[in-house]
Amino acid sequence: MEIFLHNLCFSYDADSYADGMIIKDISGSFSSGSFYSVIGPNGSGKTTLLDLISGFLKPSSGTIDIDATASVSFSKKKLAKIISVVSQDHAVNFPFSVKEIVLMGRHPYISRFSLPSENDIQISENMMDICGITHLQNRKINELSGGERQRCLFARALCQDTPVLLLDEAFSNMDIHHTLQMLRLVKHSVKKKNRIVISVFHDLNLASAWSDAVLVLKKGKIKAFGRSGDVLTAETIKDVFEVNSIVEYNEHVHAKQVYYPIH
Amino acid sequence: MGYIRIPITDIFQILIAKTAGSLYAFENISETHLAVILDVRLPRILSCAGVGAALALSGVLFQGILLNPLADPYTLGVSAGAAFGASIAILMNLTNAFVSVPVFAFTGACLTLFAVIFLSYSAKNPMAGLSSNNLILSGVIVAAILSAGISFLKFIANEQVSVIIFWLMGSFASKTWPNVSIIIISLIAGFFISMFFARDLNLISLGPKSASSLGVDLKKVTFVLLLSGSLLAAVCVSISGIIGFVGLLVPHMVRFITGPDNRKLIPLSMLSGAILLLLADTVTRAVLPHEIPIGVLTALTGGPVFCWIFKKNRFK
Repeated sequence: MEIFLHNLCFSYDADSYADGMIIKDISGSFSSGSFYSVIGPNGSGKTTLLDLISGFLKPSSGTIDIDATASVSFSKKKLAKIISVVSQDHAVNFPFSVKEIVLMGRHPYISRFSLPSENDIQISENMMDICGITHLQNRKINELSGGERQRCLFARALCQDTPVLLLDEAFSNMDIHHTLQMLRLVKHSVKKKNRIVISVFHDLNLASAWSDAVLVLKKGKIKAFGRSGDVLTAETIKDVFEVNSIVEYNEHVHAKQVYYPIH
Repeated sequence: MGYIRIPITDIFQILIAKTAGSLYAFENISETHLAVILDVRLPRILSCAGVGAALALSGVLFQGILLNPLADPYTLGVSAGAAFGASIAILMNLTNAFVSVPVFAFTGACLTLFAVIFLSYSAKNPMAGLSSNNLILSGVIVAAILSAGISFLKFIANEQVSVIIFWLMGSFASKTWPNVSIIIISLIAGFFISMFFARDLNLISLGPKSASSLGVDLKKVTFVLLLSGSLLAAVCVSISGIIGFVGLLVPHMVRFITGPDNRKLIPLSMLSGAILLLLADTVTRAVLPHEIPIGVLTALTGGPVFCWIFKKNRFK
């Protein structure tokens, strides 16, 4: 599977099309079996880019194709079998139990008025097990800590069992133990199930260590897009984030790592 | 129970005979009792239960869509619209008030609803429009304008002012069989529509992005359920006037028992709403020395109960 972006533009307000654009003329492609990360400063359009790919927002101009088909031509339900999302809005307004939330990931596969099948329940239990939340299954989602809740939403997205997984700062509230556990899980499924994973990161070192390719956004435009080792340079980081850094290959991580010297 | 005492055996006899369709069983029962049961009390009881169920269902829908467990059928100003419509009908002293008041109330409620949706919808950015904040805010604004309008109508109403006030407080007195059929038909339609979208409504509580990524057509589901909820509320108001707290309180309390899953919440809320309002109506009709408006009773008892639940949960 491959996702193509062709001259994607987006602005919330059609009138200020020229200066209010959040995404400006983005083209590129994402292919199966790779882990992509998206980095960039606050307000650079990272979340908006994921919203466009997931179909939550419609591009003002330009198209998104999934293989040879325009993504707008898929029904919502069909799209939910292709793309799953762990988004930043993880506030759940009603006290559903963790078990119920995770099972909601099977929604696209369960027809109206029918109950979840044996298989659906089996999958949701497996995912809770893998994400280490089985012990929380009867707790209310709104009583959990931020990191625990993110793991539940992770399990829910994995239940959707889609070839494409979008992560919008999905690790932001997790401790390092769970962050690494989830990253290992995702990386494994990229290779084994030949998935496309696109993840927004703030931590450049995690992005570099775990992803195959990095997309750097600045003010809605692509600044660089390519293999992590090629893209991450002190010059790019200076240009995009306006900080001084030293970028070095680290043998423990088997990837480049970024250090921020204190003067 | 009621002003006219009828032995319970007679009531059963009338009901059984009526359902069986045989007439000779009425021979030993007086004409008055027959009329009281079949034309006064039964329509009143059925329309009351129907309105209770419809208000509770409408409350479930509003709370689910507006992502706010404190929303109710009147949040979007439907009640103010209906009250405004009814006040105009009463003020103009339209002939045949039994028809014109409900029709005006219903029209007022619908117009208000469309005004609110129009205000909160933006063509430029359809996804952000119809968000719960926009809807609640538009509802509050429109309701504020309308209640000022109602005050003005009361001010110029002279003698009719008491009729307006009485109508606004809600009552099930003198309900007829046509009322019953309207509410029952709307209730059945509302029930099927909301059960059809019950699982989508569950997913909406995950937030718009997550719901959308799970295959929920947000715009369609929000629009359909909002419309159904408001129309149900409009039908209720046009039949019985404004009865507060049922739509707010019933789903809230039932949620403690069933949990937030709308597939259980919807039917059980409807049942509880029907029972609760029937109980309240029976109290106003038969227990109290003078019949008081049911809207006053539900607000006077529902308000404190709500305060208690609210306080208890905030500190849990």
